Formats: sequence, C-alpha cells, structure tokens
Amino acid sequence: MKELSEVLKDWEAVIGLEIHTELTALDTKMFCNCKLSHDDEPNANVCPVCLGLPGALPVPNKRAIESIVKAGLATNCQIQKRSMFYRKHYFYPDMAKNFQTTQGPVAFCMHGRLDLEVTGRGAAERPDCAFGEAESLSLASASANAEGLSTAMAQQMREGGESAGALAAMSGYDTANLALPERHEDGSYTVPIRILRIHMEEDAAKMVHVGGEEGRIAAASESLIDYNRCGTPLIELVTEPDLRTPEEARLFMEKLRRIFLTLGISDCSMEHGSMRCDGNVSLRRRGETRLGTKTELKNLNSFKALHDGLAYEICRQAEVLEEGGIIYQETRHWEPGRKRTVVMRVKETADDYRLFPDPDLAPFDLSDEFIEHCRAEIPELPDAKRDRYQEDFGIKRADAEQIAGDPETAAFFEESAAGLSGKPAQAVANLIVNELAAYLKGVEGGIADCGIAPSQVASLAKLLAEDAISSNQAHEVFALMAKSGEDPEKIVDERGMRQVSDAGALQPIVDEVLGRCVDQAQQYRDGNQKVLGFLVGQCMKASRGQGNPKLFNELLRKSLE
Amino acid sequence: MAANFDTLTAAQIAAGIAAGDFTAREVTQASLDAIAAREDAVQAFLQVSPELALATADRIDTDRAAGKPLPPLAGVPLAIKDNMNLVGTRTTCASRMLGNYESVYTATCVQRMLDAGCVPVGKANMDEFAFGSSTESSAFHPTNNPWDTDRIPGGSSGGSAAAVAAGEVPLALGSDTGGSIRQPAALCGVVGLKPTYGAVSRYGVVAFGSSLDQVGPFGRTVEDVALAMNALVGAGRDPYDGTSQDCAVDFCEHLNDSIEGRRVGIIPAFMEAEGLTPEVRAAVEGAAKQLEAQGAQLVEVDLPHLDAAIAAYYVIGPAEAFSNLARFDGIRYGYQEPDCPNLDTQSSLSRAHGFGAEAKRRQLLGAYLLSSGVYDKYYYAAQKARTLITADYAAAYEKCDVILMPSSPRTAWKHGEISDPTQMYLSDLYTISINIAGNGGVSVPLGLGAESHLPVAALVGPAFKDRTLLMFARALERGFADAATGAPALTVAPDFAGKGGELA
Repeated sequence: MKELSEVLKDWEAVIGLEIHTELTALDTKMFCNCKLSHDDEPNANVCPVCLGLPGALPVPNKRAIESIVKAGLATNCQIQKRSMFYRKHYFYPDMAKNFQTTQGPVAFCMHGRLDLEVTGRGAAERPDCAFGEAESLSLASASANAEGLSTAMAQQMREGGESAGALAAMSGYDTANLALPERHEDGSYTVPIRILRIHMEEDAAKMVHVGGEEGRIAAASESLIDYNRCGTPLIELVTEPDLRTPEEARLFMEKLRRIFLTLGISDCSMEHGSMRCDGNVSLRRRGETRLGTKTELKNLNSFKALHDGLAYEICRQAEVLEEGGIIYQETRHWEPGRKRTVVMRVKETADDYRLFPDPDLAPFDLSDEFIEHCRAEIPELPDAKRDRYQEDFGIKRADAEQIAGDPETAAFFEESAAGLSGKPAQAVANLIVNELAAYLKGVEGGIADCGIAPSQVASLAKLLAEDAISSNQAHEVFALMAKSGEDPEKIVDERGMRQVSDAGALQPIVDEVLGRCVDQAQQYRDGNQKVLGFLVGQCMKASRGQGNPKLFNELLRKSLE
Repeated sequence: MAANFDTLTAAQIAAGIAAGDFTAREVTQASLDAIAAREDAVQAFLQVSPELALATADRIDTDRAAGKPLPPLAGVPLAIKDNMNLVGTRTTCASRMLGNYESVYTATCVQRMLDAGCVPVGKANMDEFAFGSSTESSAFHPTNNPWDTDRIPGGSSGGSAAAVAAGEVPLALGSDTGGSIRQPAALCGVVGLKPTYGAVSRYGVVAFGSSLDQVGPFGRTVEDVALAMNALVGAGRDPYDGTSQDCAVDFCEHLNDSIEGRRVGIIPAFMEAEGLTPEVRAAVEGAAKQLEAQGAQLVEVDLPHLDAAIAAYYVIGPAEAFSNLARFDGIRYGYQEPDCPNLDTQSSLSRAHGFGAEAKRRQLLGAYLLSSGVYDKYYYAAQKARTLITADYAAAYEKCDVILMPSSPRTAWKHGEISDPTQMYLSDLYTISINIAGNGGVSVPLGLGAESHLPVAALVGPAFKDRTLLMFARALERGFADAATGAPALTVAPDFAGKGGELA
C-alpha cells in the first residue's frame, strides 16, 4: 500500500466526524433521577423510567440542556430555541423501550464552527493543490451526492411543523458557506471546520456477551445487560465533511475535547468511552466534483487511533480504487494491534428507524434568559486563554496552547506564573509542559493532589531564569522537591548545586582544560567549530557540573582567539 | 336500618364514615360482597384485591378512632382500570403479554385517589391495551352491560363503567384515548369525565397514544366525579409527567351554579350524522331543551374540519401505540415464549403470541404509517388536521361555553354484533375529536332510550375548563332527576340493585 503522503497527492479525502460525549459531570440521568455512575454494581442505578417499565414517562434533565447549550455556544453554534425530542425505533435489548430518545431535524445546536491551526509535519499532509477555486467548485456540486455523510438522520426525520422540502434543503451538504484554508508562510495553515449540529440523546445499556468469540453476541452462551448506563445524557456532534486529512481530524477532536473539558460538562475520557468518535471517509480524485462512496470507521478510541485509522482507511480505499475496485458503503472496525480496518457490517438498505416526535416530551421553547444564563457560566475557553498567555506571560504559542487546553493545568500555570513574564514565565511553562507532565504520568491522581505546589514550580523557574541552575540540574531538583516537598532554593543551596556564573571563578578551569587539551584547541583554531562542544563538556566535568555552560562557551572562545 | 351499599354515593359514604354511621371496613366488605354476588353476571373485574382493600379500610378506621382528620374520600371503594399500576396488584392491560406482570410502582393518579382515602377493591377489565370500544378485545373475558348482560358495556374502560353501573363500586378510574371513558359511561348509564389533556398525570398508566391519553373518573353522580377530580388534580401538576399541567383545584365550588345566560353550542352536522339513532337524537334534543329551560342560550357552531378527525385519530393513535408497545418484547418482563433458539425468535414469537388481534392490527398500522416515505403522507397530514381541528374548537368556544352532542351514536349493542373494525371505529364518532383537540368531555345519563330502553347520554365538550363542564353536567343531571327523590335519571342497573352488599 502507498504512503498517505503519496495517496493524498492524487486523491482528496473527504472526512466527517460523529462525536459522542457523555455528560459525566451531571449527577443524574437524562430523563429520570437515577444516579449517573458506571462504577456501581450492575443495575444498581435504575428506576421504572430508565428500565422502560409500562407506564413510566420521561422528564428532561434541565442541567443536561444547559450543558448542550454551553457546548453549542462554545463551538459557535446557533442555539435553536425551538426543538424537540424524537423517538428512534430499533429492537435490541440495550434499549429498554426499544426506541432511543434523540432529536429530530432541528437540534439544540446547529451550524457551528471551529478553526483549526495546522502546523509542522501535520500541515504537510494537506497538499496545496487542493486549495482555492478548484476545491470550492468541486464541493459546490457535491451536495447532491453527499447522502450519508451527515444527512442520514434527515432522510426520515420530519419536524411537526416543517415541510419535507424545507428539511431536505437543510440536510444537504452546505457548500455555500464553505470557507477555504488560509496558508501561512511557514507552511502552517488555518482552516475553519463547520459543525452541522449537536444534538441531545440518551445512551443505551451496556451488554456483556458471555462465551462466544471476542465478546460478540454471535455464538455467545449468555448476554448480560447492565442498565446503569441506560439513559445517560449524551451529546452527539456531527461535523460537516470539511476535514481533508487525518491530522485535521485528530486536531479537531483534540480541540473539541479541550473545549468540553474547560466547560466542565464531561471527563472526556476516550479510554473509558465517555468521548467516542466515529469517522466517515470517502475519496475522490483531485479535481473530481462528485463525492465517492464513504465508509464509516469505528473503534477510534484514542487520538492516535483516530489519525492512524483514518490514514489506513484512506490508503486502503486508494488501493482498491486504483486497482479498479469498488468501495462499499459499510461500517469498518479499526484494529490498532494489526493496524488495519475490517468490515463490521454492510449497509445494503437504510435502516428504517420510524422517527417521529416524542409525544411524552413537550417541544422546547428556550428563553433568552436561559441561553444568557448558560453563556454567563462559560469560563474562558482554550483559544482565548492561549492568546492571553501568549500576550500576558510572553510564552510560546505551542506551550500556551497545551497549557490552556486542560483546565487543571491552566489553573496551576496561572498560580505558578503569577506576576511573572518573559523568561521566568517561559521557564514555568517549560517546567509544566516537560517536568510536571512527565512526573504526572508516573503517579496516581491529578495535578491537585500530586504533591507539587505552584510556589515550588515558581521558585524553580526563577532559579532557571537567573541561570542559577542548568536545565539538567532543574530536572534533578524537580524530582527532589516532588519527593520532599521542600523549596527548590533550599535544595539547591543545601546540595551546593547553584550554578557558578562568575567569570573570575571559571577562568582558571578554562585555562586548566586548554592546558591539557592542546590538540582540540589547535583543531578549533584551524576552523573546526564543533570541537568547542567537547571543550565545554570538559569544563563542565571539571566544575562538577556547576559552571554555567554558556559562560564557559564565551570564555573558551575568548581564550582561543 | 339495613341499607344496600349501592344506594350510597361516594360523597355519602365518606360523610357516613366520618360521622361514624358505618366503618370503612363495613363499606369495603359490602363492596366486596356486592362484587361477589354480581360479578358472575357482570365480569367487570380482572382482579379483586380484598386483602389490599380491607387493610386500607382498617387503616382509615384506625385513623378515625385515633381522632385523626380523614381525607375527603376516606373509605370509598374504587375500581381501577387495569392499565394503571398499583403495587400489590398485577397490571395486565387485559393482555396475555402482561398476564403475569406485577406492578412495581404505583401510578400517580392511583396514588392520589389512595391519598384521598379511596379503597382499591380491584382492577377493572378493558379492551386489550385500551384498543377497542366494547371491551371484547380483553384477552381474559368479556364484560357484560349491567342494563342487559347480552350486550357490551362499551370500551375500552368497559370494566370500570360496568362496575359502577352494577353497584359494585361508587367510583372507578378509566382512561380515554378516543372516547374510552365517555362512550362506556354512556352505554352503562353512569357519569364519565375525560378531563382536559394534561390535567391528570399519566405517570404509571400504560400508554396507548401518549398525546391523546387522559385519565378520568366514573361515578353515578356528577358530584362524585367532581370529588374524584379534586383528588386527582388537587396536589397540582405531577413532576413525573412532563405533559401534566396545573389546573383549577376545587371542582365542587361552582358545581351547582346556575347556567342562566350561558351559551350552549350545537353542531348541526353532528345531529344529522349518519348512524345516529332517532332515540339518541331525540334524547339529545331533549337535553338541549332542558338546558334552555334553565336559562341557557342555544347557538349553532361549526367545526369545518371535523370530517378529518377520525382519520387523523387512526393515524396518530396507532403510530403512538406502535412506539409505546415496542417495549413489550418478552425480554425483561411479561410473556416470554419458551424454548427459543435466539433473541430475535424469542422477541418475535413473544409478541406474536402475547398480543391479541386488535393490538397487532394497530401496531402494524402504526409501523406502516411511520415508515420512511409514508410518514409525510399520513402522519404529517394527520398532525396538520389536528392543528386545524384544535383551531376549529377554539373558534367555536368563542361563541359558546360548552357544546352539546351525543356521547355515542347508539345505545349498547350485543356481544359480537359488530365484527368489522372500521364499523367499531365509527362508534367513537362523537368522542374522538375532543381527544384530537386535547379538550375535556363528560358523558351524563339522560335516561333510557325510547326504543331500546337502554341508557342514552349527552356529552358536553369544553373549552379547557373542566369545572365549567361539570357545572353543565350537573345542570343536565338536575334537569333529568326524579322530581320526588332528586335521584339522577339512572342509578344502579335494576337487575343488580340491592343484590349483595348489605350495609348494616
């Protein structure tokens, strides 16, 4: 199979994502007062409503509606004041009522947008030839063929008061507002990715198939159902198929996760399934105007799986197409171990879910007050925070982005870097991005209870900024202060680790090294600049690591001139 | 002084118990005795719950002995339609599918009647899952009309209506999706109210058509029905039913007000409708004259889109029924086909053998109506019709306070007489449009038909004002009462009155 970069020279990948997020921050389920927890004994958190017992009725969870409105506002969606719940029917034991309560053509949040900044190697995945007029032309004619990309629901859903024609217009791939990427001089680019909708629905129960192969229902001897998860509030975000590379898909997912974490609506754990992503992907030749047949990818439960699964599937489709084969509309399963996708099921005919408005749930009519109340509760979002960190603290954009994306890390940074800017602030950022992040991987719990105080990091950063210690020493001090809880100043002083930056004290060491490394000194004078590194190393060794390497560098140069 | 329990209204029973004339246990035992003596002929109940009833009665007697204040319906025996959950009873919906289903929680409407002091003596028969107008589709047995046991009691709440008409209980709860309270009330000669949609909680009532279903009471007097309404809505809207609403709380307050100067609407098309028998038409015209005699003004009103009501109903009802009954798959509870090789077969056969013919017919119809490509043509059109009919009623109520119309085009028919489902559907001609519009309606007995000598009744459709509705119902009741005794036109069916249920 060809490499992705080769494939994308000839083919354009059209990618759309469907992202499910459990609102794990809520206390109770979507339509009843049952506790929201998957850790309890199976079927401990159930009631007549979530078990779908005869006569039970749903009552919507107001806080879940607040959460989805916040999610919509934070992703630049239009909040629909009027929307309703629909029933989606299918017979399967994980749905107690044999229908799922979800939303119809009008979701709480419609037509949003997130801007992606694609930099570095990832930016190279998207070749320049796809940009500009050609792409917009090809997309303009794509809408008629966009069936299934983001429109599957709209085929059957009809809002009570909407005519079918108006809805068909809503459901097509909207190319009129497609914005094109903006390429920057360094090769990076910015591209807006449109969000079709974010709707509210309830999760199904968890089924465990005992016996049989790989926990699949086929050949299982018994199937167990845990209804604790049944009725968990779930929001599903559907992007327009605006993504063109696996890197963009990964960045979108990362960005969305950072936003939802900041909103505090979910723990967004891809590992534990509270945030799940399905990818739809099709290929077409560069310059082609019609969309190809898409496949749907499942089991993309990490950022790496999302990227690698899509990359594999793009290459697989290219190979099939280049050999004259046909892509079937099917659902495929990413196997990270074997690095391949395999067929889960083929969709020969569209399922008929018999969607219709849920008569037990009155249509919503959200007030301006309610929406403004939600807006007021939205904290500073990652992009704004990143820009502020860059502006106020003068730290690098990439570091600012990483820190701002996690609310706990951001809070820790702000406390550590309070009153600092420039070099010491950047030192704080470096410590958090490198030392702290590495340290947290090895311990239980999060930043709040890891035992390291922001004041310690601030103190250590000051030592670094003043060149009192080297970054190697900082690594050592970090480990010591994590263990003892002591102040870095004290550790450095007690152990005599303070870096020597006094030229008078270092000159005798330089003289001693040059005295015994005559050959290397001569090589430098003959024009071999590289040998200076060796000489600095000798000086550091002679000073038992305490000399300032930059100062040694300067002194050596002077002495050799 | 020995009296029969069936001569007493709910109001009189509660007053008698409060005054110490008799105990709740005596009344309950009398009700159970009456059921024991009359049930062979009537078959109104699917399940009688003597232990639950007597334990409830004893608690009331204990409270009274302890000097505690008694709730307004303390000690009044109550029959409950078998689609309402009550812990300690099965809730079968008269279906094999739920034949063994024990209630695990209690419906709000039932709980509120219990909170008001009612004694639950049993679960009343019905058409399977409330699909029907004759109670003949019950999977377990038919119910007989106490006025002529060869005839049907109407439906779907036929058991509830018959139990009241046979003097087995003074009060019963029913549910009404297209006439299932008003039509059996009419055919059995008792008062039956379908309140405005949203007035009474549906929580715990097994759903048929969620946007149409409404719970309401049966009684032998309008006052008893008003007292039951107080119990059902007095505590305000139910937080467990998102479609329930607050409404007026005291239904007795204006019950005996004069209707002088008020306007009563008549729909000429309804009085000329095909299938309306002359005796029913004559009785309703008599009712109009009676209301006029009490000072009301008759005005003609028009509902231009009424023709669409039955069609819309038989789209919306089955569509919602298909969805609501999807949960009955034999996996978690209810009928489970034994010895199946896999899940699909088990679900399919459990449904095939658990549901009766009418339940399957409506679900198949609903599944078709909601399917892709068909939805727009029928469901969407039905919702449009619904909007128009609702607007028609709203416009009509600009011109009048209530509308007078027959409850049923004819009196009770014989068992098996109507076998064509579409003919059966037409018997709900007068009641259905009220559910479509979400308004309330009440059926009040006017006496016996001139030809059939069976109960006939009028229905007054309301304008979201169930209290006003009952005021007119009371005016009709007053107008047709026995001049000497003041008793309503019809009381307990004569073949059953006084048979079993002596109250010391």
